[in-house]
Amino acid sequence: MALPRQLNTDHIAALMLVAMGAAIITIGLNYRMGTLVHMGAGFIPVTLGVIMTAVGILIGVLAPSSDGTGRRVALPQLPDKRGAVCILGGVAAFVLFGAFGGLVPATFASVFIAALGDRESTLKTSALLAVAMVGFGVLIFHYGLRVQLPLFTWGG
Amino acid sequence: MHQTLMDLWYGFGIALQPHNLMWSVFGVLIGNLIGVLPGMGALTTISMLLPLTYVIPPVPAILMLAGIFYGSQYGGAIGAILLNLPSHPPHAVTCLDGYPLTKMGKGGTALGITMMCSFFAASVGIIVMIFMSPLLVQIAFKFGPTEICSIMLLGLLAGATMSRGSPLKGVAMTIFGLFCGVVGTDVISGTARYTFDFPELADGVELGALFMGLFGIADFLVSVNRTVVKITDTKMSMKDMRPSRAEIKEAFWPMVRGTLVGTLFGAMPGTGPTITTFIAYAVERKISKTPEKFGHGMIAGVASPEASSHSKTQVDFIPTMSLGIPGDAVMALILGALIIKGIQPGPQLITEHPDIFWGLIASFWIGNILLVILNVPMIGVWVRLLRVPYKYLFPAALFFIAVGVYSTKSSLFDVGEVAVFGIFGAIFLWLDFQIAPIALGFVLGPMLEENFRRAMLLARGDLMVFLHRPISAWFVGACSLLILAQIVAYVRRVRIIPPVHPGDELIAE
Repeated sequence: MALPRQLNTDHIAALMLVAMGAAIITIGLNYRMGTLVHMGAGFIPVTLGVIMTAVGILIGVLAPSSDGTGRRVALPQLPDKRGAVCILGGVAAFVLFGAFGGLVPATFASVFIAALGDRESTLKTSALLAVAMVGFGVLIFHYGLRVQLPLFTWGG
Repeated sequence: MHQTLMDLWYGFGIALQPHNLMWSVFGVLIGNLIGVLPGMGALTTISMLLPLTYVIPPVPAILMLAGIFYGSQYGGAIGAILLNLPSHPPHAVTCLDGYPLTKMGKGGTALGITMMCSFFAASVGIIVMIFMSPLLVQIAFKFGPTEICSIMLLGLLAGATMSRGSPLKGVAMTIFGLFCGVVGTDVISGTARYTFDFPELADGVELGALFMGLFGIADFLVSVNRTVVKITDTKMSMKDMRPSRAEIKEAFWPMVRGTLVGTLFGAMPGTGPTITTFIAYAVERKISKTPEKFGHGMIAGVASPEASSHSKTQVDFIPTMSLGIPGDAVMALILGALIIKGIQPGPQLITEHPDIFWGLIASFWIGNILLVILNVPMIGVWVRLLRVPYKYLFPAALFFIAVGVYSTKSSLFDVGEVAVFGIFGAIFLWLDFQIAPIALGFVLGPMLEENFRRAMLLARGDLMVFLHRPISAWFVGACSLLILAQIVAYVRRVRIIPPVHPGDELIAE
């Protein structure tokens, strides 16, 4: 089979599935396999890895036309970079400030950073939204639902 | 028959207890409210509110979850009709004729028709559920591990292949979901699998984290600065919502046919709601005398798909509650919530927890009546909510997700899991995968593994046991038919599922 001139969605999907399948098999082989009668911990995951790899290969072989609707043959648009960084940063900030800071800083940081991800947002609107969410969050989650995260904490 | 009515009466008693009723109302209201917001589907809504259910007893918890579900489903129709914005993929079809109706100034009528159809279809679905469930339970008691395995296989296969997009990719995602279910300590041998030495992963992947990452964060990642919401100026009052007599007449038969389609598909495990609405719409267009008018504001084009999705929703609860096999991703989530509460859905559920089963059924009716009562006067509020800009919405939702996942086990590690699944989900969406099958795989995974291992132990490793036992053989036969149909469709290049208009491409199922 000649290599396709241009990689499309399905080729990348196939590569990803094969890689994931291979990783699942490699790790899974460390667990006891057992037999069909007495299956060990590794039996099912390795089987899943094999199926995933096989499906990946099948998708790759059938690639250009395997999408029955013929939609999106070219590579789709990547997510917006600023948006993606800020959204993931927002979640990370919640984890970080949740551990070193508490509910109040975590709320402010996560909303503020996430809000900056929208290209229409400014520092001011993001900060305002974050402050509003802090007030709302403290009221609902701390006093209302009694979420365990303290308002302020350090490491604990 | 008499017994069933008695049980139903008992159910109303449960559902009308002030404490239960309160949570049911709360669920419907919140579900409707969040469902209206652009980009918030039933899945996002339920997974965001899932942690709330951990603090309340099982009966109100499940009533609330169900309320959120159909509340958000109804709310989604509002966005679809008024803004051409399907926040939940089944509504993609509703947009086709709903939005043209809005442009013709008949958006209110379309909503009124939707409400009528939803209520009718849901009622039929509930009645089917009342009478079918006990029957199914009788059959289900004959189920051993072998049968459970093969019906799960059928459900997973149907879920993977009977939705939009490539069936092979659907299978791949199902496998990914099954794999996520494997992570954690193996119940039989005690081996920690794929935990990468994180003690937090010993109990497996956190349900809420997986769902919110895949259906929340991933969706934000692909939508941010990419989807432009055009706001049309719509004013709506209660008066606009009442359809005329002629319009009701026009909607009546499509509504009945849609309900029928939904009921049939609801009984099949694994078929998602999206395909149901597509089929209902296709049927309507096929038998219409004026098929060319579809897509330009046909009332039938709104009535039939909406009816089908609501009857399907109700009927879907049958396999979920009586067999423990969810029909789609939302049901998988509800099932997961039940399991967390220590209730194992299955044939024993109706006898062991009659309060949950019959209370739930009664609450469906109460909830659907509430929806009608709520939506008529609140429509003005919903229309205003539709205009909340995305730039305020997603940061706030992100915070709710983070704090919600945290509260489940007071674990920041789980919040990190959300980010990881968000990245996975975004990559999958980018590569044109559908992510709903992951949910089904994840929830069914541990059950499938356990039952498969047990079945093999009992059959001494003979795989033919799946064909030797008659009930199981039927399911295996149905699986082969599904695969065969896909191969034939592929060879002939037939589109099983009609293409969708571009508006909903980015939205996760």
